[in-house]
Amino acid sequence: MNSSKTAWLLLSPTIVILIIVGLLPFLYVLYVGFFNWMPLGKNKEMEFINFGYNYRELVFDKFFIDSVWRSIRFAIVTLALELTLGFLLALSLLSSFPLKAFFRSVHTLPLVIAPIVVGAIFKLFLVQGLGPIPFLAKELFGFKLNYMSSEAQAFWTIVVMDVWHWTPFVTLTLLAGLSALPQDPYESAKIDGANNFQIFIYITIPMLVPVLIVVIFIRMMDSLKIVDEVWMLTAGGPGYSTRFTGIHIWKEVFEKRTYGYGSAMSVLYLYITIVICWILYSVMVSRGKANEDE
Amino acid sequence: MKKLLIALLVSTFSFSAMADGHAEWWKKAGAPYAGTVIQGVAENTPPGQFAGEVLAKDFEKLTGIKVQLENTSWDQMYDKAIKDMEANSGIYDFVYIEQDIVYSYLDRDFLVNITQSLKDQPELVAPMVNMDDFTTFIDYFKDGSGDVFGMPMEAFVKVYLYRKDLFGAADAKSGFQKKYGYPLAPATSFAQWRDNAEFFTGYCAEKGMECWGTTVQGHTGHPASTYEFLESIGPSFGLYNWGVTDDFHSCVEGGGSLNGARAKAALTFWTSMLEFAPPESLQSTWSEVASTFAAGRAAQGWVYGENAAWIASNEEKSVVVGNVGVMQPPTAPGVMTQAAAGEGYIGYFDGGAYGIPHSSKNKEATLLWLQYIAQSEVQADWAVAGARITHYSTYDDPKVAAMDQIADGYFTLMQNTGYLYAGAPMYPFHAAGRAAIDPFTYAALAGEMSPSDALDGACEALDKVMKDLGYQN
Repeated sequence: MNSSKTAWLLLSPTIVILIIVGLLPFLYVLYVGFFNWMPLGKNKEMEFINFGYNYRELVFDKFFIDSVWRSIRFAIVTLALELTLGFLLALSLLSSFPLKAFFRSVHTLPLVIAPIVVGAIFKLFLVQGLGPIPFLAKELFGFKLNYMSSEAQAFWTIVVMDVWHWTPFVTLTLLAGLSALPQDPYESAKIDGANNFQIFIYITIPMLVPVLIVVIFIRMMDSLKIVDEVWMLTAGGPGYSTRFTGIHIWKEVFEKRTYGYGSAMSVLYLYITIVICWILYSVMVSRGKANEDE
Repeated sequence: MKKLLIALLVSTFSFSAMADGHAEWWKKAGAPYAGTVIQGVAENTPPGQFAGEVLAKDFEKLTGIKVQLENTSWDQMYDKAIKDMEANSGIYDFVYIEQDIVYSYLDRDFLVNITQSLKDQPELVAPMVNMDDFTTFIDYFKDGSGDVFGMPMEAFVKVYLYRKDLFGAADAKSGFQKKYGYPLAPATSFAQWRDNAEFFTGYCAEKGMECWGTTVQGHTGHPASTYEFLESIGPSFGLYNWGVTDDFHSCVEGGGSLNGARAKAALTFWTSMLEFAPPESLQSTWSEVASTFAAGRAAQGWVYGENAAWIASNEEKSVVVGNVGVMQPPTAPGVMTQAAAGEGYIGYFDGGAYGIPHSSKNKEATLLWLQYIAQSEVQADWAVAGARITHYSTYDDPKVAAMDQIADGYFTLMQNTGYLYAGAPMYPFHAAGRAAIDPFTYAALAGEMSPSDALDGACEALDKVMKDLGYQN
């Protein structure tokens, strides 16, 4: 048996599983998206409308469009904060300081907590009358923190929760990247008289681009499809303020039982996510190449 | 006295003999299914806990059929039950059917016809079950021909609870009289409710007590808030059946009343109560409201009746034992007259039943279980534990009468005035309609929209759902 055949043979169980749990459900969702299928309606049967009807409706669906913008805004804000904090922490962890190992372990703990549990923890900390954070906010700063009473508070509470949960991932990944960077360019730059800032901008960042692309990609995709933590903490409220697209789709599909429309929503959102990531990828790769040329 | 003792002994003996006879029947009927495990999913409420922890075990001892009841949160319960029935996977042999969802389930043909199943299998019919003993609440679980699709396991009304200790405090009485010019008393009007709420918020703050003037079931991310508005506050202001017309219009322009004057007055009143409600109110569903009241954090409020008994009697969970007052909630002018005439209702008559999905793999064993919980003789302890009554005879039981005294006449109120309350309207699109209204309720509670704008938006959203689903022409 040649190596190619062996490779396919070894890969085949994974490919079969991926087809069953990934590709087939996706094709089914794509298929259902062309139908009008509302089991709570008078007509409960799947009814083919036409290929574009649900998608055309979606383009003019204010609530869906708003949820997409909300998700994008959330992804950009959290990504910026997580990258900044993660980078600073990774740079800090490169140097030595007392209790470094302890700090690194504690800092990494949020990563091992399931998202739904993170939501529950924040809920317990923030619940009025019981949670310590609203109490301390009021006692120490006179600030009335009630995240379910304000759109802004709800949004930023979720941002803080996401940053707390996922910054360690960014830190660890960047730390691994920074640790693996070759030392020669740094030595050459120092001999040439470059200061620390110039070294960071012209040496560290360009060499770290492949790692940054991976981090930004993963975090961007995760942020765009956030559901669990938000579901536990605010369930999309108050009003529509934290109804990110994942939650919006869940509510359409499982509360209103609009299967056809909900499926179209899922497919369109997947497309939007891919486009965003592709644009991001193209920009970063072209910037990386430009830096290399310089 | 001697005669009374003899009568008591005779009745106890007769009951024991009858119970032994019943035990024999259950053993015999359960024998073919001994070892079977039937799986159910229900909401985690006091009546549900009693069913899972007490009745299920008694049933297993008699029949050898094991009942595994998964009592979980309201939304998880629906999610699991509906997905199971839609996929026809047969994970659950019985599911909780809340009164408001039964029309969707019947419309989608999820449930086994219990009446027909028992007719087809007479050997499974438990002779000691008297279906005529069920209160009229069972009618919610019947189809047009009177066949039963769900065995009622809880029924209760949403009542006005108040703290007798606070309302009876001498300094509170004098302070209230001085400030408002009339005596302090539990609310019989919404103006009085507001005054009470404002007064006790200030009174508690002055005394350094962690309590506020009223409860509000105002979670801004959970349907519980929409339900409190549509099922309790709205009806008491004269907003019935969500303000939806017979031809499925909810906006005033289409003849509906969801954004009408009464609805707007109701939402304005309710949201204005947040000023006097505990800070956790915007995160409170029905369970948290009961906990808030039991923790002594509210002087008065709307509380689901299923919690009345434990709040009034369980010293481990409640700090207001012995101080719980129960009354009918206030109503706007004209509402009581309409309710008495059967043209409206003053509040929510809630409850649920256990039904068997078509996908169940153990229908026969489950039919026995449902009949076991339908026996009149298991009802009294259940009523004491969960403040629910589904059988006429339960009201006369001495245990229930004793609890009635502790719970300030809650059962008597339910027996005498239950007809003034109503369940949810018969909308197959219930969940979808409510989901359309939710964001507007949340926004009004959070102060992001005025009550008027919120209801204008809510009725438009509800009309769109009814139109999309094919109900509205």
